[in-house]
Parts: sequence; C-alpha cells; structure tokens
Amino acid sequence: MGYIELNVLNAPATTPSTLALGIDLGTTNSLAAIWKDGRPVVLHPEGKSGLVPSVIHFPPDGMPIVGREARDHAVADPRHVIFSIKRFMGRGLADMRPELASLPYQASESDNGLIQLEVQGRKYTPEQLSALILMRVHDLACRALGGQDVRKCVITVPAYFDDTQRQATRDAARLAGLEVLRIVNEPTAASLAYGLDQRDKGNVAVFDLGGGTFDVTVLTIEDSVFRVLSTAGDTHLGGDDFDQLLAGLARAELGPLYGDELLGDPGFQQAIRLGAEQCKIALTNDPEAELRVVIPAKRISWRRRIEREEFEALCAPLVERTISACRQALSDAKLEPGEIDEVVLVGGATRMPCVRERVQRFFGRKPHTELNPDEVVALGAAVQANILMGGRRDMLLMDVTPLSLGVETMGGAVSKIIQRNSTIPCEATEGFTTYVDNQTGLDFHIVQGERELAHDCRSLGRFQLKGIPPMPAGMARVAVKFHIDADGVLTVGAKELGTGKSAVVEIQPMHGLTDAEVERMLKEGFAHAREDFDQRRAADLKIEIGTMVRATESNLNAGRAGLDRESVHDLEEAMEHAKQACSGSDLKALQKARDEFERATLPLAALLMNNVAQKALMGRKLGDV
Amino acid sequence: MQRCPNCDAELESPLGCAACQRIFDPPEGLSPFELLGLPQAFALDEAHLRRRVLRLGRLVHPDFFGNAPAQERELAERNSARLNRAHELLADPVERANWFVTALGGPAENEQRSMPQAFLAEVLEWNELLEEARAAPAGSGLRERLEALASTLAAERARGLKSIAAHLAPLPERGSLLLRELRTQLNALRYVDRALSEIESLSLARASLR
Repeated sequence: MGYIELNVLNAPATTPSTLALGIDLGTTNSLAAIWKDGRPVVLHPEGKSGLVPSVIHFPPDGMPIVGREARDHAVADPRHVIFSIKRFMGRGLADMRPELASLPYQASESDNGLIQLEVQGRKYTPEQLSALILMRVHDLACRALGGQDVRKCVITVPAYFDDTQRQATRDAARLAGLEVLRIVNEPTAASLAYGLDQRDKGNVAVFDLGGGTFDVTVLTIEDSVFRVLSTAGDTHLGGDDFDQLLAGLARAELGPLYGDELLGDPGFQQAIRLGAEQCKIALTNDPEAELRVVIPAKRISWRRRIEREEFEALCAPLVERTISACRQALSDAKLEPGEIDEVVLVGGATRMPCVRERVQRFFGRKPHTELNPDEVVALGAAVQANILMGGRRDMLLMDVTPLSLGVETMGGAVSKIIQRNSTIPCEATEGFTTYVDNQTGLDFHIVQGERELAHDCRSLGRFQLKGIPPMPAGMARVAVKFHIDADGVLTVGAKELGTGKSAVVEIQPMHGLTDAEVERMLKEGFAHAREDFDQRRAADLKIEIGTMVRATESNLNAGRAGLDRESVHDLEEAMEHAKQACSGSDLKALQKARDEFERATLPLAALLMNNVAQKALMGRKLGDV
Repeated sequence: MQRCPNCDAELESPLGCAACQRIFDPPEGLSPFELLGLPQAFALDEAHLRRRVLRLGRLVHPDFFGNAPAQERELAERNSARLNRAHELLADPVERANWFVTALGGPAENEQRSMPQAFLAEVLEWNELLEEARAAPAGSGLRERLEALASTLAAERARGLKSIAAHLAPLPERGSLLLRELRTQLNALRYVDRALSEIESLSLARASLR
C-alpha cells in the first residue's frame, strides 16, 4: 500500500511561500522530503541520492565536509571523522562514558553539563555538529528545488527522545538557520507516510529500528485522527549495535594476530566498523557473507566467512529487547498482539530478515515494507509539514509524551506530575510552599522516567523559583504549571497564589543551551558556516559550468551544421551568460545561468547522441545488432 | 447553551466554535465537563466522550495554526492541553470519581488515606504474594497465583465502581459526610489499580526473561 492521494482537488494549490521541508535527521543517514503535487516526495539533486550519511570530516584546514565524502575518510583520517552524533544529543559526559572509550576523539563537558567533542583543536557541541549535517541536507534539498531557499521545516526525532534530546534537536536546527515548525516522532511520521488514514478505523503498530535508536509506537485511527496510544523504546539500540556484534567477533580473532595495540588504533577501529556494517548488509540478502577488515596503508586484509545463522544467533538478545518493548507498548495501549490491524517497519535495520521474522511472529501479521525504510520517515515529515502549512485539515495527528514527568520529593523519591503516554500538548499544575519564614526562593528538581528514585531517572534540570513575597513558612502557595507542547518539549511557569496577587515567579532552567548561547554560537563562526556552504555551492557550480563550456566548445563546430540557427544562437547566448555569471559569486545567478545553459545544450546533446548511436551501429556487423 | 461571539452559532465547548473555526480563551477554573460541553454527571458514555474529544481536537490542535500569529498558536497549544487534561480526568472512572469528591469539597487524597476495614485484611495477603513475586519473578506456580489475584482484583474494581456510581447519582451535597466514605472507597480502588499494574509489569518482566 503506497501513499494514496487524498482530496487533492480540494486542497489549495501549493505556492512557494507555503513550502516546508520534512527532515529526517538520522543516526546513520539524513534526508529531506517535501509535499509536491498531492504527495510527499524525497528531495535529491539530479543524478545524486538525497540520502546524506550523517558523517562529518574535518580536514586539517578548511571547511568541514558532510556526507558520503566524509565517510570515505573514515579509515585514513579517523580522528577527524565523526559518526553517529545523534547518540550524543542532549547527553552529558556521564551518560556516554561506555561509548566514549571506543571513540578516537577527546570529549569534555562544558560548564552547563553538555558534552563537547574536540576535533582539530576546536570543541563542538553535538548541536553544532548536527547543525552541519542539517545544513548539508538543506543545501541538497534546495538544489533539488531549483535553488529555492526553503527554511521552514519539520524535523523528526525518535519517539523515545526525552525533553533534553528534543531541545538539542531544536537548537541544532536553529544553528543551521532553519525554522522548526514542529518536532515529530519518527514512528508517527512513518504512519503518516503510509497513508493509513485510508482506513476508517484500526490499530497500527510501528516498529522503528534505526541506526542508533529503537521505538515502537501503537496508534489507533478513528475518523482520520491518528491517536498515539503508547510508545516504548530504547534510545541506545539500533543498527550500530548489530554492527558492533560483528566488530566484536572481528576484534576477538584479530587480537591474537596483530596485538591489542594495533587493534586500539583508530584507523583499525573504523576499518572494523565499516567491514562489520558491510557484512551485516550483505547478510540481508545472502545466506553467507565475508567479514572483511582492509587497511591498505598498513597492508592488512583480513577476511572471514560468516553464515547468516551464526550472525542471527549473535543478534537474538538484541532482537528480544525490541520485542520486550513491543510488549510494553501493547500493555500500555491495553491491546493484545492480535488486535493490531497493521504493522509498519521503519529504519534501515528492519531489513534484517531475523528482525522481520520476529516482528511478524510476535504480531501474527505480515508487516508493511512497501516504502523504502530509509525514506519513510522523511516522507511522513513532509506530510506533517503540509498539514502545518495549512495544506489540509482532513487529518490530524495526536501524539503522546514517551516518559513520565516528575518532581523530586524529600528523600529522593519521584512524585509524578504527568504520566507517560499522555496526549500532548498536556499540562498539569503542582503546588509548592515555603518551609522557612520569609523564604523568597525555592528549588525543585524535574526528572523524566519511570523509575521510583530521582537519581535513576533522567534529570531535566534544577529549576529555581525566585521572587516569592516574604511571608511565614508554609503560607506561600506557589502553583507551578508544567506544559508539554506539541513538540514534546517542556515549559515551566509559576505563580504565587498565597498573597492573592498571583505574582509571577521567575524560573531559571539549569541545563541545555540557553537562548543566549545559541545566539552567541550563531554569531561566532557558525553563522559563517552557512556562507561557507553557499560559497562551496557557488564553487561547485562554477566548476560544473566550466566543464559544460569546454564540452560545448569542442562539440559545437562539429554539430553546428545539424542544428537550426535559433538553437545555435540560444546556446551561444546561454554559454556567454554562464561565463559572465562565473566572474561573480552570486549563488542564485550562477544556479540560474547553469540551468539555462543546460537547457540550451539539449538540442546539441540530442544531435551528438544520434551521431554517436549511428556511428556505433555502423561500426558493427548487422548480426550483432 | 452559549453562542459564538463571532458567528452566533451554538457553542459545543467554550474552547472554540466548530462553525467558524475560531478558538477562544475560556476562564481558568472551568470544570472538565464545562470545557467539553458535557452534562456534569458521573455516568458517562465513553465512546461519546472520545468522539467529542476527537472533534474538539480537530478544532483546537496547534497543527492547524501553523501559519497563524504567535498569540493564536499559543492559545491553540493551551486549549489543546486543557482539552487533553479534561479528557484524562473524565476518561477513567476512578479519576472521574476522584474529581467529583474533590470538587464537592470532600477530603483530598493526601488528607484522608484510610481504606475500608474489611479490605485491609485482604490487602495484607495480596501484598505478601506481590512481595514474593517481586523477589523471584520466575518462581514456580507464581504465574497462576498472580493471574488468580488479577481476576479477583478486577472483580473488586468492578464492584467498587458500581458502589461509587450509586453514591454519586444523584450527586451528594457539597461537604456531605458521604464524601468521606467515597474517599475511603476510592483509596481501595487506587490500591487495586496499583496492584493490577504491578502484576502487569511482573508479567512483562517474566515474558522478557523467557
């Protein structure tokens, strides 16, 4: 069941000002899509894939490179290539300790508890690094849109992302110069892409195993409203972990051969990582594959055959973890596996046959795999972007908050204020009072999670209430309102009610990037990154125009006779315009000149193609044709 | 029934007008029934409630205000949160009864923690079984005993809700002593719900162990 067009005739025509991108900012790959002619389409520049590997390379001097080219440097320059930055979003150093041990770069903690990675002598927050990926995705998307600069977007996050991780994602987009209309949960977005609103009624389970995170979401469709009932998952379980199983196997066998010291070498580690990933992918289609670790510079080439059965035995515990989360989600939704009408698979890692089989067995139903699991989230984000831009009002998405929100009480226990799986936006008010005479401030600690004790939950920060009017202990009545918005992000507001004056109490968050910090980062250097990207694009275009000019000049004389005068004139004029555009660096002018030049070369290209084809045919014997 | 100040259509809810799609900022302190435009009574048709919430959700959800001025967008956020909160308070009969007891001036949950006397003896016995299950989730014979407990508790819940429903129709007077009795019964139901959810998590944990 692909996406089916709905009500296109009634929808208002999409004009440029109503465009917004749907962006999937993934652990392994990132991608943009847009709503076009009544359906979501993936954006990719002509002849190129739109899928951007979420990898960044920092050359010794020069601008960071994002995507496929960056990944190609992984083995040769491992200390300057960053993978899977999404795993660091909104996390502190302590959260990441186990993973940091195997990373070839230094990590430190900023004053406000945020992780920073040091590359080429500069420190970057995960937000800044993600911003670089977003800029690249945005750049490719705009090229695919013929140079139109669309800054509004919907960005997806794993459903199980907590408040801090969502805020970090929002900040990354701001740093990339994007305007975030909405943060949408990946599995929910996927259900939109599948056009399941065609059903009048039904229950859907979305199983989303991405590069680094796992989510399962149960939703029910009624009257074209997608209402999420529950979500469960693990922000540290994804395709990367399956690669690590093979990598572990390789390390165990390579250790005795090369010694632990060489094994600890970053280039070696990256080579193992890439070899493991390739082997996993090969095992999706083939019953056996080769696990290869190749480092040309060190003349190392190690191979080992792996049978799918052997790999699947290694994977079983990870797969069972996903099924446990499915059970939890169903239990929270108060449904049995048999009550699920549709199962949707999302994320590249769901290509693994053992994952598919296990999901099918658990739900007793063949899952949907019609849409490319790497694209479905971005497509869904584009559907949501269209709804937000006013494109349609016939369907609605009601999502939930994945984790309970609570306040730490005396003794370190958690008092829950908003339960997990509450429909968002949601709000709750909690009363606080003073315990000392004339106390004017109050601290409280907000956490997210299901555990009983605050220190087992995820801390969203300590908040301070200030400006409480002085009065005897216990007299102040401060009402603190917790609001989780449609992005799943928390805001806290407070009022003092005891005096009847409803004094507004000031609240200071103590975590994440403050607005001032985002501003500063935007001003410092990072604002230049956008210009840098523009410059790079302009440089690319100039090179491309140069190639086209040379090709045209060398072929025009031969082809002139076969073309009508008008075509020749148009071509010469367009070529002249393109050359002129190259003397400046106005991106828009370059793009336009290149496009017009290309159009003008079409008759010549067609003529040459014919000539070549004829020559090729003449050169052969009749029997060969 | 109130009318829309903009188009004069009858208003189903003070949150917004279905006829002209305007949304309003209702005063703080309206009851969940008032927000959803439902009669203030304990008895409630759950399917009717759900459809009402979906319909109002289509009216006030921030998704439909993506292009609206910031102030209107914020109002949509707030109204959706109010709507969802009201739904939460009314959808579950225990929450609904709790709301009535508090709204009618009865004791709050943390002011009166007592449970019915007859119930307490059973609670001790049930706690023992839960304690045992917590210590050894895969223990032999536990599954059957927990399942038996779950059905006892479910029956207890149904019985308790029936009694509460009878006490809430017609609604007792404000501050009536009956509200103290209702709070005691509700405390028992809270215990039942907590125990049922614990049994559910124990069974999930056991499924993962296998």
